Amino acid sequence: MSDASSMTVQENVPTESPEEPQGKKEAARGLWGDAWYELRRNPIFWFASFIVLIVVSMALFPFLWTSVEPGECYLSRGRQGPSADRWFGYTFLGCDMWSKVVYGAGKSLAVAVIATITVTLIGVGFGTTAGYFGGFTDTVIGRFTDIFFGLPFLLGALVFLAIVPIRNVWSIAGVLSVLGWTSLTRIMRGSVLSTKNKDYVDASRALGAGSRHIILKHVLPNSIAPVFVLSTIYLGVFISAEATLTYLGVGFQQPNATWGLLIQEGQPWATQGYPHLLVIPCAFVVITVLAFILLGDVLRDALDPRNR
Amino acid sequence: MGRYLARRLLQFIPVVLGTLFLLHYLSVLSIQFNGDPIRALFGDNAPPEAVLDQMRARFGLDDSCLDTRGNPCLGMFIDRVGQYARLDFGIDFRGREITDVVSERFPVTIRLTLIALVFEAIVGIVLGVLAGLRKDKFVDNAVRVSTTLLIAFPVFVFGVLVQVFIALQFGNWLETQAWAPDWLQNMFTPVYLSEFPWLSLVIPGLVLAAFSLASIARLTRTSLIENLRADYVRTARAKGLAQSRVVGVHTLRNSLIPVVTYLGIDIGNLMGGALVTEGIFNVPGVGGLIFQSVKANDSTVIIAVVAILALVFLTANLLVDILYAVLDPRIRYE
Amino acid sequence: MTDTTIESKKSTESAVLANLPWDPNAPLLEVTDLQVEFHTRDGVAKAVNGVSFDLKAGETLGILGESGCGKSVTAQAIMGILDMPPAKIAGGSIKLRGVDLLQLDEKTRRAVRANKIAIIFQDALSALNPVFTVGWQLGELYRKHTGATRAQAKAKALELMKLVKIPAAEERVNAFPHQFSGGMRQRVMIAMALALEPDIIIADEPTTALDVTVQAQVMQLLAELQREQDMGLILITHDMGVVADVVDKITVMYAGDAVERADVHQIYERPAHPYTKALLESIPRVDMKGQQLAAIKGLPPPLTNLPDGCSFAPRCTFAKDRCLTDDPPLYDVPGNRQSACHYWEEVFNS
Repeated sequence: MSDASSMTVQENVPTESPEEPQGKKEAARGLWGDAWYELRRNPIFWFASFIVLIVVSMALFPFLWTSVEPGECYLSRGRQGPSADRWFGYTFLGCDMWSKVVYGAGKSLAVAVIATITVTLIGVGFGTTAGYFGGFTDTVIGRFTDIFFGLPFLLGALVFLAIVPIRNVWSIAGVLSVLGWTSLTRIMRGSVLSTKNKDYVDASRALGAGSRHIILKHVLPNSIAPVFVLSTIYLGVFISAEATLTYLGVGFQQPNATWGLLIQEGQPWATQGYPHLLVIPCAFVVITVLAFILLGDVLRDALDPRNR
Repeated sequence: MGRYLARRLLQFIPVVLGTLFLLHYLSVLSIQFNGDPIRALFGDNAPPEAVLDQMRARFGLDDSCLDTRGNPCLGMFIDRVGQYARLDFGIDFRGREITDVVSERFPVTIRLTLIALVFEAIVGIVLGVLAGLRKDKFVDNAVRVSTTLLIAFPVFVFGVLVQVFIALQFGNWLETQAWAPDWLQNMFTPVYLSEFPWLSLVIPGLVLAAFSLASIARLTRTSLIENLRADYVRTARAKGLAQSRVVGVHTLRNSLIPVVTYLGIDIGNLMGGALVTEGIFNVPGVGGLIFQSVKANDSTVIIAVVAILALVFLTANLLVDILYAVLDPRIRYE
Repeated sequence: MTDTTIESKKSTESAVLANLPWDPNAPLLEVTDLQVEFHTRDGVAKAVNGVSFDLKAGETLGILGESGCGKSVTAQAIMGILDMPPAKIAGGSIKLRGVDLLQLDEKTRRAVRANKIAIIFQDALSALNPVFTVGWQLGELYRKHTGATRAQAKAKALELMKLVKIPAAEERVNAFPHQFSGGMRQRVMIAMALALEPDIIIADEPTTALDVTVQAQVMQLLAELQREQDMGLILITHDMGVVADVVDKITVMYAGDAVERADVHQIYERPAHPYTKALLESIPRVDMKGQQLAAIKGLPPPLTNLPDGCSFAPRCTFAKDRCLTDDPPLYDVPGNRQSACHYWEEVFNS
């Protein structure tokens, strides 16, 4: 196309036409506009978002969902199963199960959100630097990533938690972040690598733009889509991970009310005729994680330009 | 290919050292910040200092660098690496060689992991291919829904529920049925039984495989769909080849490449999952060892075993990378 | 494979092909009123809207038009490799020596593909399977269509590579597609098309992805091979320079319609359709230095929402009121040519 002597037919020039046909829905929408258009019409998006909203509101405003305090426990009511006036029954200490579940959402979600934000910031930062600047920087960051990657997630978490005796939202979120940043970094790096070679980056550079400008205005917005998807899914993954660690005994400890602990308590009772002690907290974990994964999935489909 | 291999090996060594150093530094920091684990063993009934010193020497914890916070203790690290190279991973707090303890437990874990790997690879790929070929039809939707659901279950939730409802309750029901053959009954046991080293690992193996199976199915499906859209498929059809050949020979090979890569990473998932699964089903494997050590707060064992597992993981990844180059000729010449 | 199965495979396909009612007096290829639609969720796109042309043995037809005008879809419809949903052949016929390909069942159609008609695609890198060697991919045609053994297939592959003048063929037969340069890859594609000695080769933008010098070599090779094997060649392109050298006659396509059909000289000397005329005028020429490039203003219409009347009217300098309401048929123009324009005489004489 750059050869002046090639005689080619005029290709589509998308801007200067005076008579663009009416009612074209494809007018300058961009990737995100297109994605939102797709999402709006997807029932799974609404379903998943609905659940996420419920869980978030349980975390932020537990009092909206139950008037019973999670600490209001009477041993006499211990282990009572679901009944007409108490749909979710009582825990083995006689605490209201529903209340425990609602209040349990808070800490789990807090850990997940903090960990996800941290991991996304680290991932975007390292990934962009490695992908854009390449060469030695890329090699160093790459090896560093490989080193952390060499620790399988759960095992690494155990090691870190064995070192750090504190058990609160920040330490657990911290441990999850330290082990989870590697995947996001790699994905971001890959995305930046393919964006970096696009023509508009070259054009920008030819116009004299500095690296910072190119990265912020051109590379970042166009390569961030996969990270967006992954971060959404990570919210679910981290909730799952925190529950696992708590269940193993290295996460939150009693008397916190988190789902992992409820499951841990409920497990031995399930076979003794009190399955609700196990099944109900399990269901909450699974449904919440499911909602985030579905959200990530529909986002991925919506952002995929090849699905046009 | 030779250059690719050389490069991968050259990357492998510093990463191994780096990961080992990371673990080492963590254990060093632990001692520096949390205090001496030897003294902590005895609590208030500490024997004389000389005895403690002797014990510290035995565990390799007598280096003075442990007194200053933040000191990376490089000398200790080099000693440690030397030890690891001689396959000496230290001793646990009861005096047993960790290498011995681990080798006792490895066979069980390998059996468990093998069952999981075979199941997840076969079922996962088959489901993924079926779903990809019948995109948007019933099979596809069924696979997508079920795999998404499976992924949403944390391993321990799935394991606990399966143990209670399937292994135990269904197993009990099965015992009352006269028609059920013995081997079937023995499969549905809630805990590992050494009399049935393979059968009683089937259900734990399936639990372990669940998450990975779902991921493999989805990955295969996406990969197949993408490859079915590729230009070379059009060429294959233009050559007058039957659809079965176009899919079975041309696209399958290309589609399985990302799956192979995933299997490498998955070994890390399997290790973590094995930890949980062995804990739930009382399997006396390496995971069970870590599980117990976590409960007993035995950090030397935890770190040593994690070091071993990390080495296994990194080696497995190296092998997978080589396999990847065998499957995808474009990689060989990078 | 045992000898009997090899023989039976070969004979089944040849038998199937031999049993078709070929008419040696009919033109080699005759496409009549072909209509192809794509059913998408944004509506039905009419990609090919009643296109007709024919081809004789030894002749070269150029199908000229811009991106999206339906030329590739036409080629793929002839080959029968369109994805049937969402594509649908809504009408017309494609006759190979009198046999309507659209009426054949898939198995017979498969026998026709590569044996009788072959296609060369634009981007050889993505059109070749990256995980199999070039020799394997060439040999596959023989093994599957004629039942040859692997050794025989490999020997044939080598022969083909030499035919298209790929240097060091003995080593390169075991190489992978990404190890070839663009021009060499395109030769591999040509070799693949020639393998079973088809009667027709369709070349869909064979040189668009190549440098000018390589373009010339590839076109020359194609022309030579066509002469040697007396094949019909359909050249699909948007590059008017390439077309001028090689083809005997041209069909110009716009928005799914064939808007002009004529011999190559006729088109270049005296276009009879405003679109063709505008195309010719938009070619930059050395003696136009310093002047503004003449581009055709506007965009082609969306295929899901074609206007009543002439599709080109909104962009046409010759357009009058009638053009917006009456869709022009192909008028006959003296000299055995056609033009789909109500006012072709004006264009012809301007």
